[in-house]
Amino acid sequence: MSIFQLRPNYSSLARCAPITEKPGTDRAMRVAIQRARQGKKAVPFAQQQAFDAAVAKLVRAIPVDAQVAEWFANESLIPLVRRRWKKILLNPVVIAIALAVVVISGVFAYRVHERLHDFPGADKARHLLSIAASTRSVLLDPLKTDAGALSDLFFMKHRLEHYDIPPEFADFKTLGSRVFDDDEVHHVAQIWAVEKRMQFFLFPAEANPKDGSVTDFSDWRFVELEGWTGAVQQNNGVCFMAVIRGREKDLAPYLEKGKQ
Amino acid sequence: MTGDAAKAREAFQDTVREAASRSAADEPPPDRLWYFRDARRRCLGVCEEGLQAEPGMLEESEISAAAPGQIALLNPDQLAVWISAAPDPQRSALALFYLDEFSLPEMLALLDVKAGELSDLISSGRHQFQAWLDAVTPHYQE
Repeated sequence: MSIFQLRPNYSSLARCAPITEKPGTDRAMRVAIQRARQGKKAVPFAQQQAFDAAVAKLVRAIPVDAQVAEWFANESLIPLVRRRWKKILLNPVVIAIALAVVVISGVFAYRVHERLHDFPGADKARHLLSIAASTRSVLLDPLKTDAGALSDLFFMKHRLEHYDIPPEFADFKTLGSRVFDDDEVHHVAQIWAVEKRMQFFLFPAEANPKDGSVTDFSDWRFVELEGWTGAVQQNNGVCFMAVIRGREKDLAPYLEKGKQ
Repeated sequence: MTGDAAKAREAFQDTVREAASRSAADEPPPDRLWYFRDARRRCLGVCEEGLQAEPGMLEESEISAAAPGQIALLNPDQLAVWISAAPDPQRSALALFYLDEFSLPEMLALLDVKAGELSDLISSGRHQFQAWLDAVTPHYQE
């Protein structure tokens, strides 16, 4: 019976129920027998079983040709039955377990891979990606200037030291900016750029919990969240993150420009 | 299957011979079902020479509570002849089912039929056999 047949015809199965109990009887047949033994069909089913048992007894009494019996006694005609791996592998329970293991392993491997490439402050960066996804430009104070010019504004107005825009993005025209306190990230500066509706974030770097030290990195490191990608660089204990709605390859041309 | 011991022996001899030649050629029969499949094919070939039964020609009766008593009065050869007179694949289905050696999937594989078809074949054979029993053996009242 196909494993994809969800509702076997139990009454049909009961009509060819095995005459004697067999260890390999499948679940559908066991259910069919169980159902046939209950209710209105119990009497006809009992008569059917008695009928079949009587016929099988008579069949066993049919004399077997002596020569044939001798062949069976002396020759190893039947090859050894090997373990049926194919049948075991096609068992729906085994398939379900295998699928579950594959999915769990996949999620686990993805998480491990993600964490291997993580950097201190990656969790903060992802949190800010979710803010980027939900921010509308009207929330920011309108400000049309070069992004690089905002470093002085952050220092003069908000006393945020080293909130500098990297040279790769310093020339980008801005639409607006704001500074806010976030429960997780604390002092965050957010800038909305004209170019591809990019957003820039500046926020305090994550300190090492053991010794409180902060290790800067000048290369670009990436975080992703629900279709948003951020490229992060850390200088003087402050992280800069350029955010775009898209993938890493969409940010790459801007980062390459900085290298040149 | 044949209703004739000599014909059955001849068919089975040929099957064993075929198995031996396969083994000699380093291609032994893959499993025990091969023997039954091959023997069935040969039995059907032997029986093609004689008169052929047609499906749906026999009367059917409800299974009786007295059936086991009626069956006990039969000679085994009578049963063998009755089954061998059935049209195929009903004949093969009844023979394999009442040998009580095979699981349902094995029978389906041997006969190359679906479960519903096998169930119909066995069920109608049962009722036809009951009708025949009623005709040839006295009725018991328990």
